[in-house]
Amino acid sequence: MSGILVIAYGNPLRCDDGLAWHAAEKLSQLNLSNVEIITCHQLTPELAVPLSQAAAVFFIDAARVGVPGELACGPLKPQLLSGIFTHECSPASLLGLAQELYGRCAPAFTISVCGECFDHGETLSAKVEESLPRVVAIVSDFAND
Amino acid sequence: MAKNGRNIVIDPVTRIEGHAKITLHLDEQGEVADARFHVTQFRGFEKLCEGRPFTEMPSLMARICGICPVSHLITSAKACDALLAVRIPPTADQLRRIFNMAQIVQSHALSVFHLSSPDLVLGMDADPAKTNLWGVFEHDPQLARDGIRLRQFGQQIIERLGGKRIHPAWVVPGGVSEPLSQQDRDAILATVPEALKIAERTLAWFKQIAERFREEIMTFGNFPSLFMGTVKPDGRITFYDGKIRIVDAAGDVLAGGLDGTRYFDYLGEKVEPWSYLKSAYYKPHGYPDGMYRVGPLARLNVADRCGTPRADQELAEFKELQRTAALSSFHYHQARLIEILYCVERLEQLLNDPEILSKHVRAEAKPNALEGVGAAEAPRGTLFHHYKIDEQGLVRWANLIIATGQNNLAMNRSVLQVAKHFVRGNELMPGMLNRVEAVIRAFDPCLSCSTHAVGQMALRIQLVSPQGEITAELARP
Repeated sequence: MSGILVIAYGNPLRCDDGLAWHAAEKLSQLNLSNVEIITCHQLTPELAVPLSQAAAVFFIDAARVGVPGELACGPLKPQLLSGIFTHECSPASLLGLAQELYGRCAPAFTISVCGECFDHGETLSAKVEESLPRVVAIVSDFAND
Repeated sequence: MAKNGRNIVIDPVTRIEGHAKITLHLDEQGEVADARFHVTQFRGFEKLCEGRPFTEMPSLMARICGICPVSHLITSAKACDALLAVRIPPTADQLRRIFNMAQIVQSHALSVFHLSSPDLVLGMDADPAKTNLWGVFEHDPQLARDGIRLRQFGQQIIERLGGKRIHPAWVVPGGVSEPLSQQDRDAILATVPEALKIAERTLAWFKQIAERFREEIMTFGNFPSLFMGTVKPDGRITFYDGKIRIVDAAGDVLAGGLDGTRYFDYLGEKVEPWSYLKSAYYKPHGYPDGMYRVGPLARLNVADRCGTPRADQELAEFKELQRTAALSSFHYHQARLIEILYCVERLEQLLNDPEILSKHVRAEAKPNALEGVGAAEAPRGTLFHHYKIDEQGLVRWANLIIATGQNNLAMNRSVLQVAKHFVRGNELMPGMLNRVEAVIRAFDPCLSCSTHAVGQMALRIQLVSPQGEITAELARP
């Protein structure tokens, strides 16, 4: 692929941790032709393949530390390989992996929203729900630019 | 247990699926006197499903594991087929086989490439800070790319058939919920040649490097035991149905044509106070003499042939490793790679059958029996799901016999064998203890859903005096 890749990850059964899945659903409803969306519970090494092929990538995730509903967005740089276990893949290390194994990684950005409730459930807290349109707008504006 | 000696505790065991620890009991001379593999997590799935409608069981049971959910899904659905007392449509039967084999490919690839390759590529004595997946990526990028691609191959088939990679709910009582589209069939077939090439390349690589591990081959769970697996009536390997066959250490058939749905006639389970993992045994030989192994090594030991050309060639070579059954648990790795090759070949054959696109993929019925058993081959070995329901279709009792429990006795014995050979309590070195973990990794135990891991899985080894004092300690980052 050479379009925009969205990797939306988290646990959709743990309330605000599923923020990215809700954002992915809304994004898919926009039918953006140049956007591919991957939803997953956690980041795994296999994602290095599409990362190496995309024109740009957005990692969407919930954050635990900060003010609930607070949105943070910023560029991300590949990190040198580290860590000992596959459960620990971070967006930066995945970019590093793509660079190391496939010689290329896409320009990447993270979008995170601080969650309030991580209990069992499939609904978002009100503050996180409010931030959802802004998450979607960041990606769609970028795609339409 | 050496009550007057010292203990070495490896907690947690790293690069396995789930949480466990190993205790090595030393005598006064610092030699290993005994060893235990403890599974320290408790899931309780058999209890929590009581009272649920049986139709929920496949999806609920898939939640047991994030690596092999398909195995539980399929075996559970087979138990539910028995409750419905239906014969599922032939296409659904074939689709389930493809689904199961896709999972075996991705799960085996995880074991070989992501969990065990650090030991195989970098060596058992390598710096523990480097013996990890990232170390392999740096040292052998082609192998790393192959591992990623092969896992992706299996996962993409699961996603195309089941709708998602983890915890798909596509397999249902009576068949599968959706037929396969021609577009998805063609897309899967297009990826087969590359997967075949990787499987063959990896097998060639493994056979080459295995020479370096002669000492490990001799000592990694290399002892007589029984082996159990499922075979077709003509002795071919199968992962979905067939009859259970048990061979002895000489490779001779001890019991054949056993009905998987009557597992309780010949398999027993024992609970030990030091582990949440039950130990299964072959009833006629009693406990613990009825120790048997399941999984790739056992399946290749019990099968006469695979039934696909390339895998049969590899199997013939594999059977030359020892004159008897292949006894060393180190051979699990090679067996895993042969099974990957077989699965890729076999699923290609099934996908090329025009009937695979049939729209008739589900038999509908209400419960016609109050008790049902499903048996299938999971990546790690034979899996049994046994349910009893009431007239309302609610589950009243469930028993699951999982492959890792069936390997429990052999894993404990393997840990002891490796520890006795390599570990010197008075002079602890990381490579010694890594071998103790590596023999466990050879079995590829699946102790729970991998998604439950939180944070860093550090390795800590302590030498504890009879008075409870820590006299030596090794820690990994």
